[in-house]
Amino acid sequence: MAITGQAVAIATFKVFLLTSPLAIVVVLSLVVGLLMVVLFGYTSDQKAIGIAKDQLKAQLLAVRLYRDQVPVVMDSYGKILRGTGRYLKLAFKPLLYVIIPVTLLMVQIDRYLGATPIPANTPFLLTVYLAGPSTTGQTSGSGALNDVTLDLPPEIAMTAPPVHIPAGNEIVWRLVGSRDGKYEVKIAAGGQSAAKVVCVGSGLVRISTVRLRGHFWERMFSSAEPVLPENSLIEFISINYPDRNVEVAGYGMNWIWLFFILSMVAGFIFKELLGIKI
Amino acid sequence: MCLLALCAAALSPLLSCQHARGGAIGSRKLVILGIDGLDPDLLTKFMAEGKMPNFARLATQGSFRRLTTSIPPQSPVAWSNLITGMNAGGHGIFDFIHRDPKTFQLYFSTSRVEGPKHSFHLGSWVIPLGSGTAEQLRHGKAFWEILDEQSVPNYVYRIPANFPPIAAKGKTLSGMGTPDLRGTYGTFTFYTDDPTAAVGAVEGGEVVQIDVKNNRVATNLIGPDNVFRKNSPPSTEPFTVDVDPLEPVARIGVQDQQFVLKEGEWSGWVSVEFQLMPVFGNLIGNVKGICRFYLKQTHPRFQLYVSPINIDPENPALPISTPSSYSRALAKQIGEFHTQGIAEDTKALTDGVLDDKEYLEQARTVLAEHRRAFDAEFPKFHQGLFFFYFSSLDLNAHMMWRLTDPQSPTYDAELAAQYGTALEGFYEQIDQVLGEVMPKVDDNTTLVVLSDHGFAPYRHSFNLNTWLLNNGYIARKEGASGDASEPFADVDWSRTRAYGLGLNGLYLNVRGREREGIVEPGAQADALLREIRQKLLEVRDPKDGSQVITRIDLASEAYQGPYARTGPDALVGYNRGYRAGWKTILGAFPAEVLEDNTNAWSGDHCIDFTKVPGVLLSNRKIEAQAPALTDIAPTILSEFGIAKTKDMMGQSVFQPR
Repeated sequence: MAITGQAVAIATFKVFLLTSPLAIVVVLSLVVGLLMVVLFGYTSDQKAIGIAKDQLKAQLLAVRLYRDQVPVVMDSYGKILRGTGRYLKLAFKPLLYVIIPVTLLMVQIDRYLGATPIPANTPFLLTVYLAGPSTTGQTSGSGALNDVTLDLPPEIAMTAPPVHIPAGNEIVWRLVGSRDGKYEVKIAAGGQSAAKVVCVGSGLVRISTVRLRGHFWERMFSSAEPVLPENSLIEFISINYPDRNVEVAGYGMNWIWLFFILSMVAGFIFKELLGIKI
Repeated sequence: MCLLALCAAALSPLLSCQHARGGAIGSRKLVILGIDGLDPDLLTKFMAEGKMPNFARLATQGSFRRLTTSIPPQSPVAWSNLITGMNAGGHGIFDFIHRDPKTFQLYFSTSRVEGPKHSFHLGSWVIPLGSGTAEQLRHGKAFWEILDEQSVPNYVYRIPANFPPIAAKGKTLSGMGTPDLRGTYGTFTFYTDDPTAAVGAVEGGEVVQIDVKNNRVATNLIGPDNVFRKNSPPSTEPFTVDVDPLEPVARIGVQDQQFVLKEGEWSGWVSVEFQLMPVFGNLIGNVKGICRFYLKQTHPRFQLYVSPINIDPENPALPISTPSSYSRALAKQIGEFHTQGIAEDTKALTDGVLDDKEYLEQARTVLAEHRRAFDAEFPKFHQGLFFFYFSSLDLNAHMMWRLTDPQSPTYDAELAAQYGTALEGFYEQIDQVLGEVMPKVDDNTTLVVLSDHGFAPYRHSFNLNTWLLNNGYIARKEGASGDASEPFADVDWSRTRAYGLGLNGLYLNVRGREREGIVEPGAQADALLREIRQKLLEVRDPKDGSQVITRIDLASEAYQGPYARTGPDALVGYNRGYRAGWKTILGAFPAEVLEDNTNAWSGDHCIDFTKVPGVLLSNRKIEAQAPALTDIAPTILSEFGIAKTKDMMGQSVFQPR
């Protein structure tokens, strides 16, 4: 009986870890904090960093001890400046090794934790932006906007006529999903068709708020869908997924803030534990 | 060790006593549904027609009495009577509106919100030194304060005259008296490109002229006055509306939120953050509110209604609950909700900005929110007191009475056919709420359903100040004529003996109290009051000879307590069908003494208090034959074995347990 209870508790905890955004952010922050420190330790010249930091400390001490001797203090300030430069130079390469993978990791995590799926029976907006004639060679404007059509799966319904916005080359649909799931809506424009994934439900799923044509860097950071064809009349398709807030003591915040704070704290703790100089 | 044992022995009687009391309280439960404006006559009629089966069952199995209301029978006064067990002389709330006798500045009677007292100017910016205050003006101890002292758990939802909420151990949410974000009882905004629209401030709102350029409207939401700017101009936040060139649909963008509305659709709650300071605003200056949009028309004319901006319950700019986190917790559970005290937008209907159908949709949303809150909170109630307030019957009786009253000057047979049963529908919903409560009432639970007052038709307005002017009690300066927008504009106070203010208030211009008082307090004042009373009671409606005023209560006779002489000197009690006119309430002088009330606000209760009693129902036998609102606080305390305070006037309506 006790073993069964323990198993249930462990299973519940595992489910909590896998489904609670807060638990994910906490665990991730600890792991990333540890990895950052270890990676920094391996990729940096620890001995040189140690010497640079010791020299800085020595000069700071000199400033305190000889504060009545202006030439000594000024000399120490100069050395602190040079020492700081030397320290930053030593830290630059290992920081790059740390920052690049962490940034890429954060972009991927943000796909899951940055937004929530659209709750069932809750309206959302799907916006299609058409490219201007200069970029596609095709005609756009209000005529092209009127030709844009939407093909919806049975689980997604339109709840208002589309809003055509000629000034912005946009067309906006208000849609609603009746059942949880991942669906594809198809948009036809200028004789071409493009699809956009819509996630309806709750929980943690990989969400792409926008599908883009070109825009490499924007695509890197905000889209999780294949690029739209270069000759497509559609510039991008977006969905206004609700932002996800991680609840901490009753207050909601974006997961990145919590991750930033916790991973820094974890980094400082692991640095001391592992004796790595940063 | 010995010392500990001795202490334990010494304290044991006390501990056991507390345990006994705690045990007794723990087994007792009291549920009170406070239904503003529930009228005994309508209730009796609907019960007889089988439309309120749960009320009928409660009345049959328990007791049903008429509940004597307050003098005057206005909600802030009535609920303050209930809260404190005292009349206005004890709690100091005499009307919705009070005046400063020295300056004749009018102010809301129940609360005062003030900015910081000291500040310094930096160019066009004002840097406050300290923070502002929100102060409750009701005096006397609330019944839940006494319950807190006796460790009786309690929950009090939206009871009127409790803004800002007094410190409490239990959960409370402020109700009537809570302002919108602009500090008013509710200011809507109506945006239109109609060149014939009367632009500017209207009663309860503001009409804003906009241009639709390239199918786009770019305009501003109007927020609270920006106290960080010189002269405190209203803060604004831009928003846009993209109108489809052909279809009756538009996309609205407010800050980082976008939504699409069809013509005739309401949005959900939209959060808005007003930036009061460009730097550090997030830390000290910005305030958050919530509002709803209603797209009334897109073509050929653009018409968009935006509700009063309510205090955001998730980020309240002013205190609206205890604990302060409670409004946030409730919003998380049931979604955003109206925090403004009078949530039904009656002014938008009287101004013609919303029609009956649109108003009723909004009013039903308010009741739906209350029911969601009730459904969320009632299951959590296990001991002590649970008090829950509903506003819908009051506000909708005010607005919909004309459609049930063929004698109303604004009766419209066609509208009556469409919406004549709307009020009945709200009564039926309240019956459904009671139906949810009754199965959960056990032998240890006392259930009380009560209202603060009943209702009467409001067909004709009596302009008290015009009558006082015509009868020589008010004198105006030479050349003064017509209505004036300012209260008591052009009044010659050196020759004025009496004036009317508020819905029932009659004041004398007393020497030493009013700025330019001329009436000597004492015998001269008493004689003058009796003279005016006699004359007012003789006023007849020339149309049919009806008595217009049936009762006038002198404050010296009606009130007891330390504040008895701070309010009106007499309370004018109108006959059914009559009420103080809209303009006379604020000190204006319409031409006629008696006018037809052509306002959609067509039912009222601010009349002779004997003509609009409330109701009192309970599953227990009510012993009191003529229970009054002031009996309720002693009744609540008595249910938990707590003696009433010496200031409380009434007594428990039940046989002591």
